[in-house]
Amino acid sequence: MPKFLLIFRHSTDPRSRPSPEEMQALGGQWYAWMQKFSASILPGGDGLKPDGRLVRSGVVTDGPYVEAKEFVASFSLIRADDYDAAVAIARECPGDNVIEVRELAGYALPNRGSWWSTSSATSSAGSSPS
Amino acid sequence: MEHFFRHEFGRLVAVLTRSLGVRRLDLVEDVVQAALVQALETWARRGVPDDPAGWLYRTARNLAIDALRRERTHARALPHLADGGEREAPPEARFADEIGDEPLRLLFVICHEAVPDGSRVAFALRTLCGFSTAEIARGLLTTEANVQKRVERARDRLRDLDVDFASPAAPQLRARLDAVLAVIYLLFCQGCHATHADVPIRRDLCDEARRLAGMLAGHPAGDAPAVRALLALMCFHAARFDARVALDGGLVLFEQQDRSAWNWGDVREGMAWLARSAAGDELTRYHVEAGIAWEHCRAATFADTDWGRIAELYDVLDRIAPSPVHALNRAVAEAHRHGPQAGLDRLAAVAPEDVPARYPGWHAVVGELNFRLGRYSVAEGAWREALRWTSASADREFLRRRLDDCRRVPGLADDRERPRRSRRNDGAARRNTDSSG
Repeated sequence: MPKFLLIFRHSTDPRSRPSPEEMQALGGQWYAWMQKFSASILPGGDGLKPDGRLVRSGVVTDGPYVEAKEFVASFSLIRADDYDAAVAIARECPGDNVIEVRELAGYALPNRGSWWSTSSATSSAGSSPS
Repeated sequence: MEHFFRHEFGRLVAVLTRSLGVRRLDLVEDVVQAALVQALETWARRGVPDDPAGWLYRTARNLAIDALRRERTHARALPHLADGGEREAPPEARFADEIGDEPLRLLFVICHEAVPDGSRVAFALRTLCGFSTAEIARGLLTTEANVQKRVERARDRLRDLDVDFASPAAPQLRARLDAVLAVIYLLFCQGCHATHADVPIRRDLCDEARRLAGMLAGHPAGDAPAVRALLALMCFHAARFDARVALDGGLVLFEQQDRSAWNWGDVREGMAWLARSAAGDELTRYHVEAGIAWEHCRAATFADTDWGRIAELYDVLDRIAPSPVHALNRAVAEAHRHGPQAGLDRLAAVAPEDVPARYPGWHAVVGELNFRLGRYSVAEGAWREALRWTSASADREFLRRRLDDCRRVPGLADDRERPRRSRRNDGAARRNTDSSG
């Protein structure tokens, strides 16, 4: 069954921050969401700390987050039949989020990891005599 | 647990402010907010930990240390936090007259003389009670911008002063207790002015006021008869909350309230506080107002109300805390006892310069008493004036209904032909006979 990544974006506008009371209500709703779709939600999802680093052409900066109106706050991995099913799950997420739904390409399938090293080893071995 | 996040917000802000100083309140609020966000993310995924309050404290504390480190100003403030280590046991030794409870301590700091009255309530709601600016604006019937301004002003004043948060000594506590009680009282009064749409938040204000007063009463700093009297007053009023609101959210006239819907647990609690408030020789406005509220609770039916006793108490109240509103309530009691004309005579005795022209309650009562005397055009004029100064939707609705009543009896000055008063009614007139202010 295809897998999807749900990317949750929050606003950086302090005025859009929920109040403690609203957060408590949200917590309960999130928990209910996780329970409801526990069969579809895969392990590995997590929240992201607000700060970070940006490495661009070897130059490290503190990240582009300050400028952006939204930042990636958390992500979840889910399993669903197709985009319609994945979107249906995302739509039931509580709160006022922007959620990006992306299907995983499946590149990271097992038993392929050694190809680069073996192939490059073979090619270098083959070219050494010249 | 109900309001857990909100209450923890206030507690954590108070605790961290104590470590970092009032100066760093911005930072403290930010890290507490961030800790709640982390809790939201983590608890939804992993479930709520065994000790959620401790989890929140540790998270907020670590975030504060991180933030201070980033600022490189940690050299001064960090030792305070780092000292705590893993154990968060409060210091064992403490002077007997020192405030041990951080939220109470912060409340006393907020009531510093330099902080304007209007800012104290908004600031207490923000920092101590954990309400958002939008929620406070709804509760205080003002704009978010106004609330923001008041909160900022309080914060600026406290920052300028860099108030010694450590331990106001006992004499200072006593001196500031009046101001603390005034803030709690104001909080409660704001909550009592219930109107349709915002009933839930306003009920919260009342609950907060009771929570703070309860904390105060349980602490040596608040071990005073006035505190107990205020608690009694709030209990008696709270007992009637459920009966005040009709099923559709409108307000029910006091006369028509279903007394069996009153919360008798609250009444009993109020009686206990009232009995304990009798200690000492101090008679505060809270004592008198609690006495008035008790008289209302005590009457088996509206007709049984001892208006003579209530009128006396309003006289006492007006002496302790002179206010045209007290004179107004005194007049209402008089009207119940000796008829509408007696009430109007009382109002006529108030010096013209003392008449609160912009206070809708005054005009509403003048309208009601004249209406009962069959002077419909006078009543209409008074109610129009009341409407001019009224903003709450439920109050406006009530006044419009009464104005319609006036129009339905053109030229009639006969009591028998008087239109039946609407079954449900709003508190604009009634409210002024309550001591809730």
